[in-house]
Amino acid sequence: MPEIILENITKMFGKTAAVDHLDLLIHSGDFITLLGPSGCGKTTTLRMIAGLETPTEGKITIGDRVVFSSEDGINIPPNKRDVGFLFQNYALWPHMTVYQNIAFGLENLKWSKPDIESRVAELLALLKIEPFSKRYPSELSGGQQQRVAIARTLAPNPKVLFLDEPLSNLDAKLRLEMRTELKRLHLSTKATFVYVTHDQLEAMTLSTKVCLMKNGIMQQYAPPLEVYSQPANLFAADFVGNPAMNFIDAKAACRPDGSVGLKADSFSGVFMPDEKFKLDCSDVVIGIRPEFIGIHDEFQPGLQGLDATVYSNMPSGMETTVKLKVGETILTSVIFRGVDYPVDKKVGISFLGDDILLFDKESGLKLVSGSLKTE
Amino acid sequence: MKKILSIACIIIASCAMLLAMGAGETPADELTGVAALARDGEKLTHDQLVLKASDETGVFRVYGNTSRITTAVEAFGKLYNIQIESSNLKDSEIYEKLEIEIDGKINGADMVMIQDGAQLKSQMVSTGNLVNFVPLSVKGYVDADDQNPLVQQYINKLFIWNNKGDSVKNFTNVWQFTEPEMKGNVIFKSPELEQVNMNFLIMCTSDKWAGKLAQAYKNLYGKDIDLGSYKNAGYKWVAEFLGNCTFIKSDTTIAEEISQDTAAGKAGLFVLSKLRSSSVLSDNLTVGEYRAVETGTAIEPFAGFMYPMYAMITSNATRPYTAMLFIEYLMTADGFQPWGKSIGAYSGNGSLPAKEGDLPLSTWKDCLVMEDPDFILSNYEDVSSFVIKNL
Amino acid sequence: MAKDQAKAPRMLFGNKVVVFFSKPANVILVVFFVLLCMLTLYPLLTLVSETFTVHAGRESIATGQKRGTLSLYSFKKLLFTLDDGGEQGYKSSTSWIQFYSPLFNTLSVSLLSSFLAILFGGVVAWLVTRTNIRFKKFISAVFVFPYIMPSWTLAMFWSNFFKNVNVGPGTSNGIMAAVFGIMMPEWFVYGFFPISMVLGLHYAPFAYILIGGILRNMDANLEEAASILKTPRWRIVSRITLPIVMPAMLSTLLLVFASTMSAYAVPVFLGSPVRYYVLSTKMMSLMSTYKGQGYIIASVMIIFGVVILAINQSFTGKRKSFTTVTGKSSQISLVNLKKANWPIALILMIVLVLLAILPLVSFALESVIIKAGDYSLSNMTLDFWIGRNLDYLDQGDANGILFSPKVLKALGNSLLLGISCAVIAGTCGVLVGYGIVKRRGTWLSGAVNNLSFFPYLLPSLAFGAIYLAMSGKLPFINGMFALILIGSVKYLPFASRSGINAMLQLSNEIEEAAVIVNVPWWKRMTRIIFPIQKSSFLSGYLLPFVSCMRELSLFTLLVPTSDTLLTTMLMQYSEKGWDQFGNAINLLIIIVVLIINFAVNKLTGASIDKGIGA
Repeated sequence: MPEIILENITKMFGKTAAVDHLDLLIHSGDFITLLGPSGCGKTTTLRMIAGLETPTEGKITIGDRVVFSSEDGINIPPNKRDVGFLFQNYALWPHMTVYQNIAFGLENLKWSKPDIESRVAELLALLKIEPFSKRYPSELSGGQQQRVAIARTLAPNPKVLFLDEPLSNLDAKLRLEMRTELKRLHLSTKATFVYVTHDQLEAMTLSTKVCLMKNGIMQQYAPPLEVYSQPANLFAADFVGNPAMNFIDAKAACRPDGSVGLKADSFSGVFMPDEKFKLDCSDVVIGIRPEFIGIHDEFQPGLQGLDATVYSNMPSGMETTVKLKVGETILTSVIFRGVDYPVDKKVGISFLGDDILLFDKESGLKLVSGSLKTE
Repeated sequence: MKKILSIACIIIASCAMLLAMGAGETPADELTGVAALARDGEKLTHDQLVLKASDETGVFRVYGNTSRITTAVEAFGKLYNIQIESSNLKDSEIYEKLEIEIDGKINGADMVMIQDGAQLKSQMVSTGNLVNFVPLSVKGYVDADDQNPLVQQYINKLFIWNNKGDSVKNFTNVWQFTEPEMKGNVIFKSPELEQVNMNFLIMCTSDKWAGKLAQAYKNLYGKDIDLGSYKNAGYKWVAEFLGNCTFIKSDTTIAEEISQDTAAGKAGLFVLSKLRSSSVLSDNLTVGEYRAVETGTAIEPFAGFMYPMYAMITSNATRPYTAMLFIEYLMTADGFQPWGKSIGAYSGNGSLPAKEGDLPLSTWKDCLVMEDPDFILSNYEDVSSFVIKNL
Repeated sequence: MAKDQAKAPRMLFGNKVVVFFSKPANVILVVFFVLLCMLTLYPLLTLVSETFTVHAGRESIATGQKRGTLSLYSFKKLLFTLDDGGEQGYKSSTSWIQFYSPLFNTLSVSLLSSFLAILFGGVVAWLVTRTNIRFKKFISAVFVFPYIMPSWTLAMFWSNFFKNVNVGPGTSNGIMAAVFGIMMPEWFVYGFFPISMVLGLHYAPFAYILIGGILRNMDANLEEAASILKTPRWRIVSRITLPIVMPAMLSTLLLVFASTMSAYAVPVFLGSPVRYYVLSTKMMSLMSTYKGQGYIIASVMIIFGVVILAINQSFTGKRKSFTTVTGKSSQISLVNLKKANWPIALILMIVLVLLAILPLVSFALESVIIKAGDYSLSNMTLDFWIGRNLDYLDQGDANGILFSPKVLKALGNSLLLGISCAVIAGTCGVLVGYGIVKRRGTWLSGAVNNLSFFPYLLPSLAFGAIYLAMSGKLPFINGMFALILIGSVKYLPFASRSGINAMLQLSNEIEEAAVIVNVPWWKRMTRIIFPIQKSSFLSGYLLPFVSCMRELSLFTLLVPTSDTLLTTMLMQYSEKGWDQFGNAINLLIIIVVLIINFAVNKLTGASIDKGIGA
């Protein structure tokens, strides 16, 4: 099974770079997500790997074969790259039935008729669309069309599968269902999946590794949980996670014991880094995931922590998102049970665990993680 | 687009130069090719022509600006078992096509029947594009003036008017058509659309006809003509005549229109043979010259005009002997039948009489304005500009 | 190409070429770039060079120079003879009469007629696509009739209908005067007004098709959004609908303007009787005498065409951003005309009957009467249709048109020509559309786009003249081949427009989905792209067919004989005054076109309106 290697890939549209000197290594069997806001270059990257778009510069290797190299003038057309591509709008051929849509590609690959029949039957079963084989795409619901598109893409057993925001046209429930389906397919096909999405939740739940991009530049390339807990920079921290991370501007000063004194608008505290690091700036941003803000039901002035007021309260049953006002700062907290705080209730809060993050305000880069105690 | 345009401009300029340079040519004095064959062919008898023609193969093509050519061609083809294609084209189209075919050495027409002697002379005869041929069998019957180029027939356009209503004016003088009350009531085919009409107007400005027109003016109004800024009486008549004209695109339509019951007071100058058409109510029409013969009062100084239809061989003919045979056929009674069966057509072969009820060719030659190619050619630029300004 | 080089600065040249030509779209564009240059630009150069040379005949005599000599004679004579106005009692100069006044007339006619076409076509388009007006099917079916008919037929009908003894030749009364006793004034029957009206009406369906296409594809949400905001209907039309279709309307205006400029037959019928001349009529008469001057007029018309193309180009850039077609439009909520529905529908129906049906009836009637103007039963005969041995009629043919070998042969030729041009132009249109859309944004794509549209702006008559001149140099351009060639080139714009539109509607991914599974290019075209957009593409075939069947000016100089095609035969008959045969042939043409149009429409869903519209 092939590895995919992108080296120094650049794609210019006119004078703007859609993808800017991207290096990427995709191991075989990975489920890679290209994640980022719209216009970040993720779809362009995908299409370049598939061969549907020609990079301006760089080199792409799939397996042991160079499929594109600007230097050597190599550009292998997509049909020779042995890849599958699942399109955002499915791109089902409206004049062919479900069966024909799936079988057409196989016919072109010169499969024998019985082989085609059994393969199509297999896929129809795999994707639970047997009853629709004689129907035309326009006679199917969105979810069914999606399944047909997947079946068509999987039919020739591609070793690499590219998926371009395949779930964005589905409603929430179907999306969840298809997500499960995709993860299952990834395991059963053992193919390499490269998946484009702007939905961080999809990226988190599906992939083995997330490639986070912004303005054509890779921000972070790591397993989802690492991106979540150790985001490389403010952008990554902000983009991943829902509700979003709390960011608090603060002035930092090193203390002799290796801890860092922090002074924010509404509180001051001491930060204990997990590891040694050198602080070479005084303007920092404290990043706190909502689940690391603990709420103490009973308001006890003077307890370790901060005094806060409930600003709004959004219980969803399993968990509750609470907006808290500390001084003039609004913080978001998530607690994993259903509670219904009255608005304006006084509560005490504290910062939990040692996954609190410090970022350099100017560069946005993550400095260190650690624990935070208020003073 | 800009790029294309600028490139185009450069290429245009250079091509124009190239095309212009490659155009010099020298006419040969020695008769060669079809011209030589035609000269020798004039000595052949009918039977010899038939024999020679039967050796030729391929399609025999004829262009003519007369519709009845189809009938003649069909009869001829049947008679000698020859495959013929005939095309009925406008004279300008024939000249255009001939030039391209002969220059481009494209297999086109073998033989043409065509009018407009001036253009024929300058464009076709002097360049050797068309070759003259007078068949031995009819040479003796064709007027010497009509032999080179050979006149197959004459066609006349006459003053004809509607005779309905109580106040029918009988025209005895062409100046009557220029009077204010005739404004818009004289119908003519625009000389821009048919060259023979232009030729006629040019002839009117010649000294001969200008003189006669001046005399006619005096005879009608009893005073000398006041020319004003006009060069002669011909110019004045042409300008005032055209000023009164309404132009219609076809002589057949003119005939039909003027023959309507509702067309009282209208007059026209158009081809006499159109009266044959079943769609023309010919009872409603008075032919000026016919009436003149009946009453003895001729129209002064002319009753219309007459022009020849020539029959000639193309210099790139692939079936020259068939062309000669066909020309001979056209000069016989059978060959002339499609035209001769009705009035308004007069064979170049003097032994073939005009249709019964019509007047003989010699009479027409006296009372109608005839084409003089040389005069037309040398005055064309001047008079045609003048005519155009009066359209 | 230049862009590709920039993309891969370090790629080897040879490799670059291979990569470039490995894309079928590039191959198509290069091939068509070369072909179109040869078929449109080269002829154009020939034309321009002709304006600088002396031609045989009159010009040769006037200049005293041999034909082929380089000379400015034609320019001097046509454009700069401005000082001979005073002589012999005449005020105007030759150049004024021959060029400037016809130019002015042409521009005024084109301006008025294109406005009329837009107004009429646009209103009907709006009624049909955006309101609940009754008889929609009938209206949209019949409204394209005038466009299918040869343009001069409407002119013939106009003069037959309105003529009377007070105007023009004044020899007979038309229906209006004879039946209703109404004598229309001369300005109404002949000259500027009727020419503009007839051309406007002839091209109204064209405007209807173009504007209707835009309206149909316009996202109804745009209007609905406004109506939710409680915007009154008229305000929605004036503030939302009109601005959105405005670029399309302007572009339509220019196209109609270009078409009317080269119209020849209509001004001949309706202008000549009152001495109203336009450039095309002047050009036609000069072509037979002073060819150089004729070619100059042709060049002037082409220059106008190019300017129009350039203006149009600047509109379409904006236009695309307005009317990006995202897919088949969602449900359109129709304007309820309420009480006005019946009256408007009725008025429209009456107008359509007058425009589209009545002429057909009149042609039928004129084709069975023997003597003009006498509509009594005793004067009627079917001989012109089914008679044999008609020598007594003396009208050029001995058989009724349905039995005449001549007519049937011409019908066969016309069909052969129409079908050949449709197949060639249509197929090329699909390919060109594919290439242009696939490589959108590149220099080559833009160039081919312009080139493929260019023949539209060449006046048919001038275009025919050029090819005739060219056939002298390239003798293989001859006979039926020449006709098919010029017809295919001339009507390529229709086909390429519908090809481009069809391709624009097709999401790129539809093809990519097939590329991924290794479907070869030709199979993608024949099995995927063509079948999906079948009706749009086939419309691109239909339009060249219809146009060829009714075209006259383009072919008139190139036909081996005027019996070759139905239209040239018709014009010849009309010039000869054999009106019954002429009317019968005219009706035959219209019926054949209608039948084929209807059959293709029923069988494949393609239709003329889909061709240019969409």
